[in-house]
Amino acid sequence: MVDAAEHAWTETHSRIPRWVRSTLWFVAISGALIACWELYKVVGTGLGIVRPVRPDNVTMPHVWDMIAELFQPARRGGEMLLWILLKSSFWTLREAILGFVFGGVVGFGIGVLFERSRLAERAFMPYVVASQTVPILAIAPMVVVWGGQLAFPQWLSVAVIAAYLTFFPVAINTLRGLRSPNPTAVELMRSYAATPNEILWKLRVPAALPYIFTALKVSATASVIGAIIGELPAGFGDGLGRNLLNFSQAFAVQSPKLYGTVIVTSLVGIFFVGVISFAEHRIVGVTGRRVADAEGEAAG
Amino acid sequence: MSQVVIEARGVNKVFGRTGPSPVEALRDISLSVAPGEFVSLIGPSGCGKSTLLRLIGDLVAPSSGTLQINGKEPHQARLDRDYGMVFQRATLLDWRTVGKNVELPLEVMGSDDRQARARQMLELVQLGDFEHHYPWQLSGGMQQRVAIARALSFRPSLLLMDEPFGALDEMTRELMQQEVLRIWRETETTVVFVTHSIPEAVFLSTRVFVMSPRPGRISDVIDVPLSHPRDEDTRESADYYEKITEVREALRRQERP
Repeated sequence: MVDAAEHAWTETHSRIPRWVRSTLWFVAISGALIACWELYKVVGTGLGIVRPVRPDNVTMPHVWDMIAELFQPARRGGEMLLWILLKSSFWTLREAILGFVFGGVVGFGIGVLFERSRLAERAFMPYVVASQTVPILAIAPMVVVWGGQLAFPQWLSVAVIAAYLTFFPVAINTLRGLRSPNPTAVELMRSYAATPNEILWKLRVPAALPYIFTALKVSATASVIGAIIGELPAGFGDGLGRNLLNFSQAFAVQSPKLYGTVIVTSLVGIFFVGVISFAEHRIVGVTGRRVADAEGEAAG
Repeated sequence: MSQVVIEARGVNKVFGRTGPSPVEALRDISLSVAPGEFVSLIGPSGCGKSTLLRLIGDLVAPSSGTLQINGKEPHQARLDRDYGMVFQRATLLDWRTVGKNVELPLEVMGSDDRQARARQMLELVQLGDFEHHYPWQLSGGMQQRVAIARALSFRPSLLLMDEPFGALDEMTRELMQQEVLRIWRETETTVVFVTHSIPEAVFLSTRVFVMSPRPGRISDVIDVPLSHPRDEDTRESADYYEKITEVREALRRQERP
């Protein structure tokens, strides 16, 4: 059933675990990008290029300067920048995860509601879409103020803002996934006199899982952005948002700090999406095609 | 159990009755099917044979007329799990193993002893070794066998099959026909079989309902008294060819009324 070429491919590659392979690729591509950056600086300085970007050390600091900056004290006599950023990342990630879970649950609920009722979909979908076209920068201060009036802790307000960016992809993809089963499959369930709930959990949700995981990956990064943006009006200095704001104001003199912060922020996003991918592989993979394929090969 | 499994009297079906262009799918359908019969519905596209099957299976409701299954409304019969259904597409759930697919209806019905029952059904369709395979690892014919095992797993009194072998190649198709007849004899289930293949209808059925289109009606009912068990020799017998001719002529007559 599996042709020879595909078989050979699986065999040579299955000796190295998947995560090792993807890590190696990540490192290789990062190396190539760094090389491009530095090459541009060398060639650009030599030829006196000023467009699109000046290759000077403020606009485009050396990569090693950015990394070195991470190991310097952020303030004279203060803590190391990397340490501060790691603490901030932890704080921000906590808000993001809380918002992600909350937004994910709400998004899933909206998907289920819309699948059940075309009327609800027609009535509420415009508002769901509109909610995403209003810039988060406008929503964030409102949430912070309302949260303050309700005596929410600020991190909770930030999590709500993160949830606001999270629920939309989950709702849209859940709905699409829940509608993905073949109509015949639904009729089959009806012929067993299955209740709508049984059809939901035994047919529609399993069929929707690949769609939902795709949405969760989008939402994972969106929730980090939501948390960072949410921290700005909340005005506390514990998260990545305040760091990014401070360092961007000091960009003209101390650009490596901002770059260093950007690097750490991206790593937070990559870590979060990595966790979701791992879960996807475990949950969808076990029952779905990919892992079953591998198992079949191991058995045969 | 009552002496008829399916009893239809003057059943009509109009789609889009309230809309601007209603379509009359079935007109004045009357038929009665006894327990243990194997009946086929045959006719050209648009004759409403699938619609009639779906009416019997309570997937659509008749517009008028009376239809009773085992002496009950079709809706009640569905709630009582009187129907096993097999469609042209096997419609197995990708994320479940073959065994778990066969267990699905039993799960919904909350039956005990699901795994043993599923194994037994897979043995019946001669796929005992494939319990732990995934559907996509199976050929089209094997998938359709799984679909049959799944439909029979809860011992329905009526098996409804909608062109189940329409997507299979000719050789597999003939094999599957033998299989279905064997299963039908072993389980003594009543079968309604929709097809557009004349030899298939004749080979399988005890009775063939010939339908004509626009609107869908039953134009002829042809008894097929070929002896059972039917096998490869049946396919080469003169009686078999005679019946095929009879059905073909019944279908031809429709073209020039």
